[in-house]
Formats: sequence, structure tokens, C-alpha cells
Amino acid sequence: MHPILKAALTGGLALAAAASLSGCGGTGVTRPRLESALAATFANLYVQQAGILGYSGVSVAQIAASAACDKGGPRVADAGPGADWICLVTFTDHKQGTHQGKFEVQAKSNACFVAGGPSKLVGLTTITDTHGNDVPNPVFEFDGCFDPRA
Amino acid sequence: MTATTSARIREVRRPGAANRRPGTPTALRWELRKLAAQARARYTLLGSLLAPVLLVLVLDGQQRPPKDNIYGRHIHDSGYAMPLLVLGFAAQWVFPLLTALVAGDIFASEDQHGTWKTVLTRSVSRTQIFWAKTVASVLFALSVLLLLAASTITASSLIVGRQSLVGLTGQLLPSHAALPLVLASWATAIAPLIGFTAVAVLLSVVSRNPAVGVVGPVVIGLVMQLAGSLGGLDAVRHLLLTTPFESWHGLLTEDRFSGPLIDGLLVSAGWTVVCLAVAYAVLRRRDITGG
Amino acid sequence: MSDILAVNAVDVTKRYGALTAVDGISMAVAQGEVYGVLGPNGAGKTTFLRMLFGLIRPDGGTLQVLGRTWQRDGTRALDGVAGFLESPRFYPYLSGRVNLELLAGLDGGDAPTRIDRVLDTVDLTGRDRDKVGGYSFGMRQRLGVAAALLREPRLLVLDEPANGLDPAGIRDMRALVGQLAASGLTVLLSSHDMGEVEQICDNVTIMRTGTVVYHGTIATLREQAPEPAHRLSTSDDQSALALAAGRPGLTVLALDGALAVRGSLDAVDAYLSAVVRHGLALRALSLQEAPLQSLFFMLTETSPETVPGSLDRSPTGARP
Ligand SMILES: Nc1ncnc2c1ncn2[C@@H]1O[C@H](COP(=O)(O)OP(=O)(O)OP(=O)(O)O)[C@@H](O)[C@H]1O
Ligand SMILES: [Mg+2]
Repeated sequence: MHPILKAALTGGLALAAAASLSGCGGTGVTRPRLESALAATFANLYVQQAGILGYSGVSVAQIAASAACDKGGPRVADAGPGADWICLVTFTDHKQGTHQGKFEVQAKSNACFVAGGPSKLVGLTTITDTHGNDVPNPVFEFDGCFDPRA
Repeated sequence: MTATTSARIREVRRPGAANRRPGTPTALRWELRKLAAQARARYTLLGSLLAPVLLVLVLDGQQRPPKDNIYGRHIHDSGYAMPLLVLGFAAQWVFPLLTALVAGDIFASEDQHGTWKTVLTRSVSRTQIFWAKTVASVLFALSVLLLLAASTITASSLIVGRQSLVGLTGQLLPSHAALPLVLASWATAIAPLIGFTAVAVLLSVVSRNPAVGVVGPVVIGLVMQLAGSLGGLDAVRHLLLTTPFESWHGLLTEDRFSGPLIDGLLVSAGWTVVCLAVAYAVLRRRDITGG
Repeated sequence: MSDILAVNAVDVTKRYGALTAVDGISMAVAQGEVYGVLGPNGAGKTTFLRMLFGLIRPDGGTLQVLGRTWQRDGTRALDGVAGFLESPRFYPYLSGRVNLELLAGLDGGDAPTRIDRVLDTVDLTGRDRDKVGGYSFGMRQRLGVAAALLREPRLLVLDEPANGLDPAGIRDMRALVGQLAASGLTVLLSSHDMGEVEQICDNVTIMRTGTVVYHGTIATLREQAPEPAHRLSTSDDQSALALAAGRPGLTVLALDGALAVRGSLDAVDAYLSAVVRHGLALRALSLQEAPLQSLFFMLTETSPETVPGSLDRSPTGARP
């Protein structure tokens, strides 16, 4: 084999091995990662929704959102991409009331997800802001991403 | 056997300037000049400049935003969302196609025109021609990326506005923070784009057929995209050349992460080195019999 | 310097799979010489010249061009060498002039300053700004010569330069090649036409399916050339052919519905008398082909035994 070719193939394979090893350990989509990303994303967006609706004193810390996720029922391992993730999100609203809601989460292999909450908890697609305008509801359905190896 | 006197005279009056040999930069300059003379290359650059403007206008007029793609739901909220939507979309097949239009053709067209024998019987080596063509392809790919990015970002911020952008953890990014992140996100496409350029170069050299060189990388990109979207193939996913196109996600979360970015650089470098090395070896060894 | 051979090939071989396109060819071309490589289609002329240009690698043997080899000198092996193989090819989307500018750029040195001159030499000055895609075959052939001359070569290699041209084009191309040959350049000219080579070449190599069947000067070849061939048509060619058997100094072959008769005038006279005596009528008798042409056909078409044994088959001036 040509020496340059040989060196390049060796180098390329070494790089590939390095890259795949650094990311090994199966899927990057795991329950803890999804739970913390979903809770954090929800909290940020809920603060924005509160701002639109004119509620004051709402902060990420005050909401104290948390999520508990499950994929495909008890008989399916809670890891990997899929549209069958169900996450129970718990948070405190601006009146100190604690709420819980089931979010349907579609997790993708690229460590991003799309989450949709129950409308009786998060409101409809659009909400009315303090000026009376209809604007998109940031928590109705939202995207998020997380570090697949944090 | 004796040579005639005239041959001896000819030898003596050979001017010294004739000994100045052309280098790879000369060959590169001519590759670029050839590209500039080709309608395909000119239209690709023009399209990269104008198509985003059109796309932004059309998307902006949509009542229903394309929610299936990341940032699709935010296109009316911020002018910074549209470039990220377009970036995600371009990675699916547009980037591989745009670079392959030149890189997939640049070697094979010499076979098509039968001009290998014309250029390789001058004073430049196959190695110099190889690098000139490869560098020309990479420069073209980078120009296309630059035009697409500049055009999309400018059009979108003029048409939609420069509102703050929702990050990928739901956090609000004010305009002055969003712009550098959007620019950086587009910059992360450089490495995999060069990787796809190398794939196109390889196909162009090996197939000697411009159609294979242009269509091949697009098909490979789509197949990789599909393989990457399947679950349970994570080890494979890491090695795919399409995965680095999504590494910008880590720039837009609240806690930024760079693992996929670094992997993306390594994987792109790996693909680039292997493809170029094989292409080089094949070009060096092959018999030029056509033309 | 001038003792260095322009081309020194020893035992050069090229195989394409099972086919040996060039089979142990040796050839020596001195500087200043005008050398012909002759052979019918598929003889291996182009394959040999491709190896000379480093476009393909020989499977065996050594090949030196102006004292340089590809293995040792790389692209420098082409310094002072120019020419074209088969029909010259250019970028159709560039003009003739830009094509030459490109090639001059790849030649380096002062090649760009010669563009106007070479365009003038091949009579393309008026059309140089047109795209090559719109050139006629003959114009492209002339542009090929111009591109070769740009390099101001010491060795000019032309592979069937008149191939595919119309009669006027052939005449002009031959005149141009003759003119270049007369200027003192070393010219290596491949052709399948004896007539093209005969006028301008000093030495020739005649090839046939990858091997050399003749090496030597045109003068020697002329001496060896057979007696003029006649084309004979009779009322019964079969019987006439049979009558030729056993006649000394006479070759008669059936050819294109007639007979080709070769031999000394005495032998031919005797044969014709015999034919008539035998009750066959003569319908036509004409001088068929130039003697060298006949020899060329004999060398490249008939079985090796019929080739005159006295021909020198060793490379001209082969060096140890
Ligand atoms: N790339 C190739 N692959 C396979 N066989 C080839 C190739 N190139 C040439 N040949 C074969 O090698 C032999 C010599 O071909 P070459 O082109 O050298 O002949 P030539 O003397 O130049 O003929 P022509 O007068 O037709 O140009 C032929 O039998 C040809 O079919
Ligand atoms: Mg030929």
C-alpha cells in the first residue's frame, strides 16, 4: 500500500476511534438528562409566559420545576430516542400553588426533544398579553436540547 | 549517432526564464479561473446569495410555521430563529449538494472533456493538480457557506427583526448575545462541509463521472441522516459526517456543551483525511488512457 | 548534452489485463532526428507515446526522454518535451486563447509571451477569442500543435496529427509538420500512413500488435521495398492465382476482388504470358501501390515469414 495512503488510513481510523470512544456507552438520550433538560426548559419558558400574562415575581428558582420521565411504560427501558416518553412535570405557580402535569415528549437521537403539556395546565396555543394581543404561548409546545454526555 | 547542429543551437539559446517552474498556486489560480468560467459555479454562488432572501420572504409569509424542524416554531418571534432553521434544513442535503456541484465535478470533468492528458503533459505534477483542485473545491464550499450565512442572517434580521431569541433550554438570549451565537452556529458547519467536499472529491476521482460525483455525496448525506435519526445506532451516529452539522445545538443551551463540537471536528477531519488520501493515491497511480 | 538521446526506450512493455498493448519495445531517437513510429490501428503507437509522457506506467523496461526518467525526475522528465496524443483536447467553455494561457501558465517560464506567435503559426489568430467548443476538428488539431509549440520543445511528439482531417487539412498539417521538422526540432511522429512518414522522417520504427517489425532508416527500407505491385484482374482470378504458385521472385495475393502481383518486371512479364497462354483474358492491369506502402502492408499484415529476412530488426543505434 502507498505510504501516504497507509498513514492517512491509520490516522483517519484513529480519529474515528477516538471520536466514537469519547461518545461511547450507548445512547446519549437518558432519563436523568431528559428530566433535567425538560424541567429547566419548562421553567425558563414558564417565566416568559408569566411575563406575557403580566404576573410579577415569577422566577426559575421560585417555580422549582422538576420532571419525572418514563419511556413507553414499565416494560420499556427508560433510554433512547422515541415519541413515547411521558414526563410528569411538577412546579409551583406564582400563587404558590403546586401543579403537576403529564407532558408528551418526543426525544430525538440528536439529544433534542419536543414537549407538549396539557392545555388545562399550560394554556392554549395562543395567550393574551397585557395589551390584549394574542401571542404564541411559549410553553404550549416547545423544543429543547441537552448535552448527550453530561 | 550525432545530433544536428541546430539542436545544439536551440539548447544554448534556451532562456533562463524558461526554468521558472509553475507551482501549486499557479495551478490553483487556473482552477479558480476555470470555475469562474463555468455557469454552474456562477449560478450556485448567485443562488446562495438570492435563494435565502426568497426563502425568508416565503417563510415569513407563512401562517403555520414549520414546527417539525428545530427553531421552526420561532420564525416569527425573532429574526435569529430563521437562520438556525435554515442551517438545520441545509444540513439535510443542501450543503452536500452545493459543495458537490463543484467538488464532485472538478476531477471527473477532466475525464469528461478528455483534458487530463492536456494538463498533465505540461510542467505541473499530478500532486500539484490534485491540491489545486482540492483547495479550489474547499474555497468554493466556504464561499457558498459564507454567502448563504450572510444572506440568510441579513435578510432575516431585516425582514423579521432583531428580537431576542429563545435558547434551546428555553432561556432568552438578547439580540446582542444571539447574533454571535448564530454566527458561531453557522461556523460549525465548516468542518463537516469540508468533509463532504472530500467525499465529493473522492467520488469524482474514483468514478470519473461528474454525475456520480455530484449526486453521490447527496445520497450519502441522506443515508447518513437517516441512519443518524434511528435509535440504537449511537456508536455509528458518532462517526457519521452528518452528525457534526448538529453540533451547534450545544452553543444555544443554557449550559453550553462542546463535546459534540469537538467530536464533530475530529470526525470531519477523519473523513477529510481518509477521503483525500484515497483520492490522491488513486489519482497518482491511475493510467490516463482516455481523451 | 547533445549526445543524450531524445528518446531511449529499452524493452518497454505495457499490459492491459490479458492484452499486451506494447510488448518489449526498444527505440532510440537521437536529438535533431525526425523519427516515425508507424503501425496500423491497435499496433500500440499511442500506448507507447502515453508512457513517454508519463500518463501511463510501463509494466516493464526503462524509458528515458532527453536523459530523464519519470521515476527519478517526475514532471521534469517532460522538460523540453511537448506534443499531443490522439486528438488534442481542450476546455470547451474557454476560448482558444484562454486555453493556451492556461497551459502556458502550467508551463511556467516565458511560455505566456509566445501565445500570439504560436496562434499565428497555426493560423488561428482570427478565431482565438471563440470558445473551443465551437471549433472544428481541424481547428482543434491546430490548436493542439500551438499548445505544443508553446513549450518551445526540443522534442515534439505528434500522434497521428493528420488523423481525421479533410484532404486540405491533411495537406496543411503535413506541410506544418514538415516545416517544424526542418527547423531542427527532434520530432517523433506516429502514423498509420507510410506516405506521411516517408517524406519527412529519417528513421522509422514499424510496429504491429505491440511488437517491432522494423527498425531503421527510410533509405534502407526503400532498398528493401518490394518491386512495384500491380493490380491484376482476369476472366478467372482463381486459376490465375493457381498459376502463380512456384514462380520464383513473384508474389500474388487475392486482394479486394482482384489480384495483387509483386515481382521483378521479368517475373511479372513471364507470369502474364503464362496467364494468357492458359486461355485467361486480362481485364485490367495497373500499378497498385507505392513500393514502401506495399512493404508496410507486408510487414504489418501478412504472417512474419513473408517479411524479407534481410531487414534489420534491431533498434537503430541501440546503446548498451
Ligand atoms: N485503456 C485501455 N484498456 C485496454 N486496452 C487498451 C487501452 N488502451 C489501448 N488498449 C489496447 O492496446 C492496443 C494498442 O492500442 P493503441 O491505442 O496504443 O494503438 P495505436 O497504435 O495507437 O492505434 P491507432 O492507430 O488506432 O491509434 C489496442 O489493442 C487497444 O485496444
Ligand atoms: Mg493511436
